[in-house]
Amino acid sequence: MNSISDAAFWSRIQFAFTITYHYLFPQLTMGLAWFIVYWKWRALRTSDEKYNQAARFWAKIFGLNFAVGVVTGIPMEFQFGTNWAGFSKYAGGVIGQTLAMEGMFAFFLESAFIGAFIYGEKRLGPRYHFLAALAVALGSWSSGYFIIVTNAFMQHPVGYRIDADGSLGIDSLSAYLLNQWAWIQFTHNQMAALVTGSFVVAAVGAFYALRGLHLEQARLYLRAGTVMGLTASLLVAFPTGDQQAKMVGIHQPVTLAAMEGRFVGGPMAGVALIGQPNVAARRLDNPIEVPGALSFLAYGHFGSYVHGLDEYPEESWPDNIELLYYSFHLMITLGTIFIVLMFGAVIQILRGRLESSRWLLWVLMLAFPFLYIANTLGWMTAELGRQPWLIYGLFRTSDGYSKVVSSGDTVFTLIGFVGLYFVLGVLFLFMVGREISHGPGDPETGGHSEEPSV
Amino acid sequence: MNATWYSILSFMLIVYVVLDGRNFGAGMLHWLVARTPAERRQVIAAIGPLWTWHEVWLVGFGGTMFAVFPKLLASAFAGYYLALFLILWCLILRGISLEVGGQINDRMWQGFWDFVFVVASTLLAVLFGAAAGNMARGVPLASDGTFSMAFFTDFTPRGYVGLLDWYSVSIALFAAVALAAHGATYLTLKTEGAVHDRSAGYARVLWATAAPLLLVISVESSVVRSDLLGHAIKNPYWWLGLLLDGAAAITLISGLVTRREMRALIGSSLLLAGLPATGAAAIFPVVLHSTLAPENSLTVYDVAAAPNSLTYAAIWWPIGFALSAAYCVFVSRQYAGKVSVKRDNQGFY
Ligand code: HDD
Ligand code: HEM
Ligand code: HEM
Repeated sequence: MNSISDAAFWSRIQFAFTITYHYLFPQLTMGLAWFIVYWKWRALRTSDEKYNQAARFWAKIFGLNFAVGVVTGIPMEFQFGTNWAGFSKYAGGVIGQTLAMEGMFAFFLESAFIGAFIYGEKRLGPRYHFLAALAVALGSWSSGYFIIVTNAFMQHPVGYRIDADGSLGIDSLSAYLLNQWAWIQFTHNQMAALVTGSFVVAAVGAFYALRGLHLEQARLYLRAGTVMGLTASLLVAFPTGDQQAKMVGIHQPVTLAAMEGRFVGGPMAGVALIGQPNVAARRLDNPIEVPGALSFLAYGHFGSYVHGLDEYPEESWPDNIELLYYSFHLMITLGTIFIVLMFGAVIQILRGRLESSRWLLWVLMLAFPFLYIANTLGWMTAELGRQPWLIYGLFRTSDGYSKVVSSGDTVFTLIGFVGLYFVLGVLFLFMVGREISHGPGDPETGGHSEEPSV
Repeated sequence: MNATWYSILSFMLIVYVVLDGRNFGAGMLHWLVARTPAERRQVIAAIGPLWTWHEVWLVGFGGTMFAVFPKLLASAFAGYYLALFLILWCLILRGISLEVGGQINDRMWQGFWDFVFVVASTLLAVLFGAAAGNMARGVPLASDGTFSMAFFTDFTPRGYVGLLDWYSVSIALFAAVALAAHGATYLTLKTEGAVHDRSAGYARVLWATAAPLLLVISVESSVVRSDLLGHAIKNPYWWLGLLLDGAAAITLISGLVTRREMRALIGSSLLLAGLPATGAAAIFPVVLHSTLAPENSLTVYDVAAAPNSLTYAAIWWPIGFALSAAYCVFVSRQYAGKVSVKRDNQGFY
């Protein structure tokens, strides 16, 4: 599965690269959408122009982000057929349902209103413009839900049956759509998206505050970003992150063992704060553990028995235990840091001192990339932990790829994506940087210039 | 059930062709109908805020096909591997050129994105045309339901064919001309001034070119797939499709001659709907024809998901469709009438 001439390997790399890249954009879309809705709503209630100004400014960044999200999302849908034909043949009767519903219910909604929302403030009037923003936010969250139902089925298949030809079909649509795994994964993931939105909003606020520009707007962004940021960071860890880990412990015990680098099972399992998994020697090197913590977190008692990798045949172990372990641990470390940072910022706001704490503003301004890192690590934990299964317990990754596609073709298209996405990324950063340097309420680009831009 | 889903999928693809086809057309003609930067902005504004709404029909089509005909998705998408990625890259570049092109008021910047827009739109029209040609001609489907295909082989439409042969190239040519004509018809309705006048001229010339080409490809089709006509005449929907094509042609011609812009656009949309509909009726129930052995061909019964999945999909699909029809009413009321660069300006927007 891991050699250069192996088409399955390259299909995995290509899927991982394109989805990781795609998800950089929807996470901000889903996080930012509610900030804009909130400001539009405040503007309606108070008729204070500063809220409209904030909504207008962020709508521009939202629009750019959305556009890249859309163009990078379409390859994802195609790749199920192009690279994962075996998987599509086997499971299309089930996962196709939610991918189609995502198109019919979420993308249609989003794409019908995004134009009206971004270009149409004048045409729509304040009330309808608010509703358009709301429709876009609902559309983006429901698209997140449908895609996560799809992924949750791959993690924990429910509501399916095996049909005469050996492929999967839907047995109960409601069981499939209301998969418990999906609800927990969705809440965790959406809270994480809100943290991304919060950190980005706060970072721009901090940037303006540090430069002494647009101070009224900066204050608005800092306040909304940190309050939301603290709330959502807390919710990411507890109860949603905690529930995720419990669910993994129940349904994928071997994955939990690998995530924690537990090579040997036993009671009173600890959580390693530091330590390097050494798969060859079957142990965690240099561990510093909190005794009993893992038993408590996963099963509710300090004495609970936690399975170790030694209890499972090696071919059911995730195939990259080191990466899985580091992804998971780094995600949790970052999550803790986010809570501490946002807590500090909110305290300073309550004392009315945030704008004068320059060091804190610097940290807030520079922290946002770590949100993207944490979200990506979370997905790597989920996806690496699922290996070697494509659908947990039912279908192996090694059976899922397209047999007729050669590794050369896949390498070629992967290189194409890397090149194209590099250009997209540079372009996106350039355009967003431009909007930020113009700032909110700047007459040249401030909302709706009446002059044609020629 | 399988036939119904076949119709629904054809319908969604046709909506996509009609809606996004005018954007491809406008893209191909962009340099020809719009000469000054201001005129170019006018063309972009005519497509402007709606391109995601058009493109999403392709996403909806793909998703629905995945749900109801997963084995078709698996076989066709893996077989058309490289061609599909070319389409994807063009779609990405087209979308980005529309979004960022107007944002910076600079000649070099806009000129560059106009170039990307023209090239991507043209390639998309040609590639979709070639894909339609492939559907009609068939692909080298093996007995296990898979195929892989080179870009081109010996250019004959028999046996181990490639993506391109003389038949699919000629369909691609026709598609490019017809979509350009469709785009010109659309721009005539949506724009004013010099762009309007040039578009009106191009619409007439291009439709006049498309008519003989259509005749040529019809004759070619009856040669390449000599079995098809005898099969099609037994299908009442095929006759219905022909009727639609006839009505569309009359509407289009009368619209072009009397300069009723709305009527011309309706005619051209109906024609672009009618032609693929007729084709879809002609090949039914085969969705992938094998050029190697007829018994390898895949029908709607071979590729479908289990009946239970189809039934579930039949419950939620109409709801989703009704909702999107409602959005469509909203969208078309929002953007009725000629564009004005002042009001619908893309840069910034
Ligand atoms: C801001 C990002 C972020 C932060 C700080 C955290 N997570 Fe997370 N986590 C995600 C973002 C994320 C994610 C990107 O949203 C994932 C990937 C799949 C999913 O649904 O959520 C995820 C997955 C994920 C999984 C994998 C589930 C599986 O294998 O399917 C577990 C067990 C946790 N998380 C648990 C936690 C815990 C206990 C945290 C304590 C602070 C935590 N996460 C912080
Ligand atoms: C946006 C968040 C996501 C990220 C960052 C992500 C990341 C990854 C990674 C790193 C892999 C490679 C794993 C390996 O080969 O060892 C992978 C594989 C895969 N993921 Fe995800 N994933 C995400 C969401 C999803 C979703 C929502 C789905 C399903 C709808 C999905 C379906 C798949 C499939 C089909 C594969 C290929 C087979 C495999 O290697 O497991 N992923 N993903
Ligand atoms: C956790 C993983 C994912 C989430 C939460 C997610 C969410 C979203 C959201 C909110 C959008 C709207 C555009 C934007 O905000 O940028 C979007 C776009 C898109 N996504 Fe993803 N996505 C994920 C992964 C995937 C996967 C695996 C697929 C493949 C089936 C996919 C397919 C698409 C498509 C086709 C679009 C374009 C929609 C349009 O044209 O409006 N996404 N995604």
